[in-house]
Amino acid sequence: MLGVMLIAPCVLIFCAVIVYPLVSAVYLSLFNIFTPTLKGNFVGFQNYADLFAGEEFWRSLFNTLVWTVCTLFLQVVLGVAAALMLHQAIVFRALARSLILFPYFVSTVVAVLVWRWLFNDLYGILNHLMMWSGLLQMPLDWLGSMPNAMVSIVLVGAWKYFPFVVIAILARLQTIPDQLYEAATIDGAGAWARFTDVTLPQLKDVLMVVVLLRAIWDFKEFDLIYLMTGGGPLISTQTLPLMVYKEAFGLDAMGRATAVAVAMMAVMLVFMVLYLRRMGKEEAR
Amino acid sequence: MKRIAFNLMAWTIVLVTAFPLIWMVITSVKPQFELFRIPPTFWPEEITFEHYRRLLWETPFLLFMRNSLILSFSTTVLVVGVATLGAHSLVRFRYPGRERLAQLVLFTYLLPSVVLILPLYLMMVWLGVANSLLSLVIAYTSFALPYALWLLRSFMQGIPDDLESAALVDGATRMEAFFDVILPQALPGIISTSLFTFILSWNEYLYALVLVNTDSARPLTTGVMSMLVSSFNIEWSLLMAASVMMSVPLIIIFAVLQKYLTRGFGAGGVKG
Amino acid sequence: MTETTRSGLSRRSLGTALGAGAVALAAPGGARAQTPTTLRWWSPQTAPAQREAYNFQIRTFEEANPGVRVVFEATSDEGYPAQMAAAFASGQVPSVVTHLPHFAVATYWQNGLLEPFNDVINMIGTSNFYEGANRIYEITPGQFAGTGIGNSAANMMWLRRDLMQRANIAEAPRTWDQLRDACRRMQGGGVFGAPLPYARNSMTSLIFICFVHGAGGSIFTPDLQVNVDNDAFRNALEFYKSMRELCPPGATNYSWGESLTAFVAGATATGIYTGRVLANVAAQNPRIADSVTCARYPTISTNVAPWTFNDFPSVMIPKVAPNMALAKRFAAHLFRADGYIRQLHAAPGHVLPVLKTISAMPQYQENALIQKYRAEVDLMSESAAAGHNLGWESTRHRPNTAAGRIIASHVLAEAVQRYVINNEPMAAVVSTTAQRLEALMRG
Repeated sequence: MLGVMLIAPCVLIFCAVIVYPLVSAVYLSLFNIFTPTLKGNFVGFQNYADLFAGEEFWRSLFNTLVWTVCTLFLQVVLGVAAALMLHQAIVFRALARSLILFPYFVSTVVAVLVWRWLFNDLYGILNHLMMWSGLLQMPLDWLGSMPNAMVSIVLVGAWKYFPFVVIAILARLQTIPDQLYEAATIDGAGAWARFTDVTLPQLKDVLMVVVLLRAIWDFKEFDLIYLMTGGGPLISTQTLPLMVYKEAFGLDAMGRATAVAVAMMAVMLVFMVLYLRRMGKEEAR
Repeated sequence: MKRIAFNLMAWTIVLVTAFPLIWMVITSVKPQFELFRIPPTFWPEEITFEHYRRLLWETPFLLFMRNSLILSFSTTVLVVGVATLGAHSLVRFRYPGRERLAQLVLFTYLLPSVVLILPLYLMMVWLGVANSLLSLVIAYTSFALPYALWLLRSFMQGIPDDLESAALVDGATRMEAFFDVILPQALPGIISTSLFTFILSWNEYLYALVLVNTDSARPLTTGVMSMLVSSFNIEWSLLMAASVMMSVPLIIIFAVLQKYLTRGFGAGGVKG
Repeated sequence: MTETTRSGLSRRSLGTALGAGAVALAAPGGARAQTPTTLRWWSPQTAPAQREAYNFQIRTFEEANPGVRVVFEATSDEGYPAQMAAAFASGQVPSVVTHLPHFAVATYWQNGLLEPFNDVINMIGTSNFYEGANRIYEITPGQFAGTGIGNSAANMMWLRRDLMQRANIAEAPRTWDQLRDACRRMQGGGVFGAPLPYARNSMTSLIFICFVHGAGGSIFTPDLQVNVDNDAFRNALEFYKSMRELCPPGATNYSWGESLTAFVAGATATGIYTGRVLANVAAQNPRIADSVTCARYPTISTNVAPWTFNDFPSVMIPKVAPNMALAKRFAAHLFRADGYIRQLHAAPGHVLPVLKTISAMPQYQENALIQKYRAEVDLMSESAAAGHNLGWESTRHRPNTAAGRIIASHVLAEAVQRYVINNEPMAAVVSTTAQRLEALMRG
């Protein structure tokens, strides 16, 4: 009984701020709705039919997947590498750690502004440094053409969020017993072998969870992409959350917007169930 | 020799990662006319703190800062408080539907914020709190609570059962056991969860953009954007100064709590 | 407040969906008190100097109406569609909204969300307005959806006399060929020709519309049939593409702010903007202040008259606003000479007066920038007064209430990007654009 009482506030809040909006989202997606009045008429599954018949949804889904996979991959690789590096004794380690973790702490708005300033075609230091070092002849259009725009947001996304992986991995590294390494060294394992045979298996658990959490977040990311490219050029960097926003508030079509959102959740759900099942199997082994 | 090479490499990587932030600081002390130099200057030819002065005394920056602090603290306290109880219940008590509930938590996490906005807004109006800091606190729980619950649950799973059993044998009630035994053990986890929750709410943009539009309830993220980026001007120098100052509270909190951040995560190991 | 909330929600079908819970519970919880005499004023134009002028207007209104409080609340160009939507959906609306583009007003009016503005216009005095200034707001005959709080001439061509002299250009370009030639001659040494936008945003759509008109075309026919499959539209695309090499590389991501800053900072030889340029040059780059001037934007040939883009920054009152009589008085108060002139002086030439009585006042002309750039300000006032936009493309056009949706859909900006950046064939670009416009007009 006490257990139920303790969880009750959580459940109540969930119902209010998540379940109720969720149910109304699914309900709204069956209507053709003008956002400012929320008036509309029932259209059944027409919104979904239009969505799946049109190109824009598929292109946005594709963009979302490209963005999520690429930026997640970079986050994990950079995160693990940086964590291993910061686990070693280097001078001023505390300061180095703070500097590495900092991108995660600055707000997305700040990060985007700073990067847009760096990328600026006329006064941006990035173009200038690359021209000065001979890497470029002309200033590069970082955000306005493809594939540059996608590469840029993937890089900024990786920069912004890899510290999260660093934190989790660093914490786990500290709990790996030294004896494991000593034993491996006695067995004649080199640095690389020690990494693959000792470190990596120990990190597996935490990596699985980190990947899951980050994947969900990256899939839902709105601020960074919206403020960075707004989805352009054309719809080359328009991910599903941006499409939802445009339909809902740009085109005042709340019904279509919620249909996109529901479809988006379905996609995430499929991935998540597959992933959790896989994770369960691994754990059982 | 090898040590020095490693140190050099490590610090090069650190500096490259931190470069955007270093550049932000450098830009914020350049006079405005120097910003639009082609080619850009690297070190400022002249250092000025004019932008900071203008920001602090001539704009509502401090008001936004106050709002952000209140907002983030309240959200953190509310979310972590509720989530700690909830996580304790999920880990230590047996009742039907417990496992399902834990999975549902993760599911609610999938919902994109964009769709929640309008229903949430209508709810705020109905509650009579629209256009206030409270409405943002409520809205922020929608993404912060699942996350905090999930993190805390994994921390608490790392605390051995026998500790609580021992206390119960000694005659403590379950609530006493919770406060005397579980809480101290879970503290690093609670602190690190609080930190993550704080960061999430400090940095949120979309809800703040739509749900609030009086200056007296506007947090820094949208306040700074709408104040300095408009269709007829982008005040780069003020923006950079604002960015530096927006990061200061986080630097302080981070410096104080850094050791908990990684220790907390290690305690339970983030387990599913 | 609860009254409006409830009626706002219980409107037919879906309202019930979201409101089901709300309506049921609103009754007991409805004791929410709001001071009966608080007015809320929203605007996305919030530069510090403008805020000062607003504060003056608020203060004078509060002094004249004891017991009334006016709260200014800033919205933003990106945020207002969502915020207005939320406000209308919940019934908790601001009393007065200013400076939204005219086509936003048209959309809200079309859906019955606005209070007719006739009373306010009468309070200001119909005969004080410039001839025809309110025609664009007369969407339903006899009723006005709002009125302009100012005029703007958003596509003036800004020039630097010093650069022209250096390139041996005697006078301002009048045709596209002359413009391109001038840009080519002035480009070099880190200076680009023009800051035209090629991004996926509203500025690109809005500016490109100006070029279609500059080619003698229009996006819609006067009875609002899609009108893009013709030479004018193709010529505009072709010319716009040919200007790409004369614009900075980052122009593919330019919006108003970047475009303006490029000219003001001296990175481009020409600019395209309102009179805001004057204030920004004075504040940020005074060394070019003496050589800045403007002209109406060139067209394809001297046979085609220049077309000025005026987005008619508006004033409107939501239908369910509380304290309606007071809200109307406040809206009219915004046009009282002392405060209105302060607003206009916050950025001389950016927002131009809609009242001819104000333009004639010495207090209005007593401003350093207006005096220094007398010819330019006069030219802008004259052009803006005869200006149009997608919501009302020419005097022969019917008002187009779908204009806001068309801009937000980025269809026109995407046409530019397809043709200029992706090099897609002209025929494909034109036919996709036509189809998408037709779909948007169907709603």
